[in-house]
Amino acid sequence: MKTAISITDLNYSYPDGTKALDNVNIEIEQGEKIVIMGPNGAGKTTLFLHLNGVIRAEQDNVKIFGNNIGSMKTEDRIREVGVVFAEPDDQLFMSTVYDDIAFGPLNMGLSEEEVDRRVKKALATVGLEGFEDKVPHHMSFGQKKKAALAAVLSMEPRVLVLDEPTANLDPKSRADLIRVINDLNKNHGITTVIAMHDINALSELADRVYVLNRSIVAEGPTRDIFSDHVLVKENNLDAPDIFKFFKIMKCFGGDCDQTPMSIDESVKELTQAIEALEGKMSLHIHESTHEMVNDVISSYRH
Amino acid sequence: MKYPEIDKYAELDSLIHRFDPRAKIITFTILIFSFVFIEDIRIAFVSLLFSSFILLVSRIPFGFIFDRMKPGLIFVMPFLIVMPFALDGNVLYSYNGISISYDGLYYGSLVVIRAATSIMLTLIMLGTTKMDTTMKSLHSLKVPSPFVQTLMFSYRYIFVFIDEFFSMWTSMKAKGFKVKANKHSLSIIGNLVGMILVRSYERAERVYHSMASKGYTGESRTIVKFKMQTADYGLAAILIGTVLIFIIYGMSLS
Ligand SMILES: Nc1ncnc2c1ncn2[C@@H]1O[C@H](COP(=O)(O)OP(=O)(O)O)[C@@H](O)[C@H]1O
Ligand SMILES: [Mg+2]
Repeated sequence: MKTAISITDLNYSYPDGTKALDNVNIEIEQGEKIVIMGPNGAGKTTLFLHLNGVIRAEQDNVKIFGNNIGSMKTEDRIREVGVVFAEPDDQLFMSTVYDDIAFGPLNMGLSEEEVDRRVKKALATVGLEGFEDKVPHHMSFGQKKKAALAAVLSMEPRVLVLDEPTANLDPKSRADLIRVINDLNKNHGITTVIAMHDINALSELADRVYVLNRSIVAEGPTRDIFSDHVLVKENNLDAPDIFKFFKIMKCFGGDCDQTPMSIDESVKELTQAIEALEGKMSLHIHESTHEMVNDVISSYRH
Repeated sequence: MKYPEIDKYAELDSLIHRFDPRAKIITFTILIFSFVFIEDIRIAFVSLLFSSFILLVSRIPFGFIFDRMKPGLIFVMPFLIVMPFALDGNVLYSYNGISISYDGLYYGSLVVIRAATSIMLTLIMLGTTKMDTTMKSLHSLKVPSPFVQTLMFSYRYIFVFIDEFFSMWTSMKAKGFKVKANKHSLSIIGNLVGMILVRSYERAERVYHSMASKGYTGESRTIVKFKMQTADYGLAAILIGTVLIFIIYGMSLS
């Protein structure tokens, strides 16, 4: 396995003195799915601006596939890392969708045929076939969000970075986008790094989670992070409802091997647990049930 | 929401719509500059009629163009009102020492007619081509890139800007704000304008970040595919020829 992103001791303060990043260390393998969580103002966007060299670190703190991002040529840099920012209107700055998606590839110096091929492919990937001549102000928020993703996919980067990809989307658009991101990771080997608050999408989009709050507060598999309720609370986070529900079920004697993080996982875990009990799981109230339930609920309440 | 969408009718089909966008820009620019220098009010008037005829051919609704001509016309109207009083010359009418001069009225009307003609032609030019095509044509006509890019981004973000303005305006009204001619009201509006400026600045920064992360280095690169055809040369020749006739006739009059 190759290391895709390696960040060592990264510090950054904005010109007005706001310290946004404090000694950040991150190491991501090629093909991993990483989610970065943290409260508003934690420095997620600032970190992402470092990942493709928009903000240059003073030393060689940010390396992409072993190369220092600050000293890479523009064409190489955009071939390695593509960043999709949160606000689609900021990223669709050209007059038509076609021109926006062609923007990156043209800057890479590709031929017109190749640019055309990439635009068509990127549009097909996000499910916006036929949108070439659309102007952004005639599109819905969900469509703009997909177009903004396509405008990065057309550069065919090896690492895809997304800042709050599911925020403000309707459930259908949200599901579409999650599917696209997952497909890129699973079937095209693209390393994905995502900042989001959408805890219910976590199990699908993350192998591993970093909790960022100016510095990296915690790192680990999703389930471990959410089992630590002190950590969750201190960083304005929350655990998925299904996770909390299974914690509560445990108080009633319904124990699973691992606390599921998503609906899909819950089916698997429940089946396993019930099969292990010879086809029947019984829930009951005993002396300390109420106390235990209250403990679970209060441990995650803000 | 009422957007200043100038290319709303760009998808219609007409002789003017089919005109090659670069040839269109050059021809209309020549037309506009020639008409602006016409000195004879009769010929200026005929050129206005001629422009209206082009508008008719373009099939864009008159009301649409007229709506968008209004701001420009309101801007030059003062000439028509002030010049008759300000300019010396043959007195048409006099009252209590205030006199209206024939020359003033003549030049005032000339300014307004010329302005109407050039605004109308500009709107037809912009209205019969999709905005992105116009921008690409300017680019391929070697208009300096910073100028084209500024135009392009202004046009792109004016819509975002309008949405932002109205969402703030709506939220102010939802909190009971009414525009009144007092200091409080003015200071609130001043605040709103300030907010919009700050937001635009921040947005410009974010847009720049997203451009930089796509490898932008200041050059604009777009794919342009235009092909001039005989019909385009023909139409350009007819329009410019007509203008020449106007000008030559005008010179023979003076
Ligand atoms: N352009 C800027 N100038 C000054 N401070 C900024 C700027 N952008 C962000 N900040 C500050 O840096 C910190 C991190 O912001 P950001 O990276 O946007 O956080 P997040 O994306 O996690 O919400 C915040 O305290 C924010 O106020
Ligand atoms: Mg952010």
